[in-house]
Amino acid sequence: MAKTISDKISELKTGVEWFYSDDFKLEEASEKYKALTTLAKEIESDLDGLKNEIKVIEEDFSKE
Amino acid sequence: MENSEQQVYTVSDFQAVCNQILETAFTGVIIEGEIASYKVNQGKYVFFDLKDEQSSVGCFMMVYQQRFPLEDGMKVRVRALPKLTNWGKFSLTVQAIQPVGEGSLKKSFEMLKKKLAGEGLFDPAKKRPLPDRIEKIGVISSTQAAGYADFCKILNERWGGLTVLTAHTQVQGMTAADQIIRALKYMNERGEVDVIAVIRGGGSADDLAVFNDEALVRAIAASKIPVITGIGHEVDESLCDLAADVVASTPSNAAQMLTRDRREVKGALRADVNRINNLLKDKIDEITEVNCKEIARVADEIYHKIDLIRTEVIGQNKILAQLNPENVLARGYALVRGDVAVGSDVEIETAKQILTAYVKAIKEK
Repeated sequence: MAKTISDKISELKTGVEWFYSDDFKLEEASEKYKALTTLAKEIESDLDGLKNEIKVIEEDFSKE
Repeated sequence: MENSEQQVYTVSDFQAVCNQILETAFTGVIIEGEIASYKVNQGKYVFFDLKDEQSSVGCFMMVYQQRFPLEDGMKVRVRALPKLTNWGKFSLTVQAIQPVGEGSLKKSFEMLKKKLAGEGLFDPAKKRPLPDRIEKIGVISSTQAAGYADFCKILNERWGGLTVLTAHTQVQGMTAADQIIRALKYMNERGEVDVIAVIRGGGSADDLAVFNDEALVRAIAASKIPVITGIGHEVDESLCDLAADVVASTPSNAAQMLTRDRREVKGALRADVNRINNLLKDKIDEITEVNCKEIARVADEIYHKIDLIRTEVIGQNKILAQLNPENVLARGYALVRGDVAVGSDVEIETAKQILTAYVKAIKEK
């Protein structure tokens, strides 16, 4: 199942937190940074392409 | 006087025919006037006279149809069916009633506000926050209204990927409240949406009076799905606003409150990436600094050890120099080699010469 924007934003947030955590390792940081940069660009692109679906319900509310 | 061709009615038939004619002629007539002799009988039946300067007509309605507090002197608009009663009295059977004019609206608003507040309908403790994750929004509005267009415009500008299910209803007039109530019921029964937005742009006090309808206010308060209202302009306050979980000042503001701004999210993303970039640079600088300090410390240690060794070597060299026989000879001493015995030859080495000598005698010192 494709990830939603919210999923991706959560993933980015977790990725950012890693840099401030005790798990941080300089050897891994460069790769992680590149991956997060790519993810951020992907989210931006997704955000630009998002459209809302607006539907008018067919029910006639003027009738009792 | 009698005419055999002319129809003769019983009183009841005549009254029935009159009512048929009235129903055909006035299918829901709307009349405006001032209330007089207002009374409620047996807690169920409402009677009052609707009058103006010249005329007056009796009105009847059931108490549940009364959606606004009423009292004598109040100016109202009624939708009613004219009727001739069994006692031959002409009256209006009221289907809907609504106060009109600033004074009546204000009075009715205050009376109903006091009543519903007393029942706890506006209790802040009952308010629910908007859901954290909104994917489906139910909108109740007129799709022709400018307020609805503003709402959709702002919604589309700010965020995407949402499903908006719009219930098209009237948002002013005597039937609007019932339509909005039906839409609320429809959405609550289906439970498809995360939040319901009741939207209406600005208008006069009369236009917005529907949002002070008692039944509508109660329906909003009773909604299982959280309700946000965006009714009128910033200055307008309706009882629906007071009963809603969240109040937006305008339809546009409701759209803002329901969505994140994609421009802000993009800005935050970029800030996150920059923050990590700076953090990474800082970490590398920090580690480089630690490494440089360590290298300098080790170098200092090495230089110190070299100095120690150099000092020691110099000392040893001095000792060696002192022990060098050449230096002893240079000071005037001589080195004797060979069998030191009377009558034998020995070799004597000075700084500059090597001599051969004969041992004539040996004396003990």
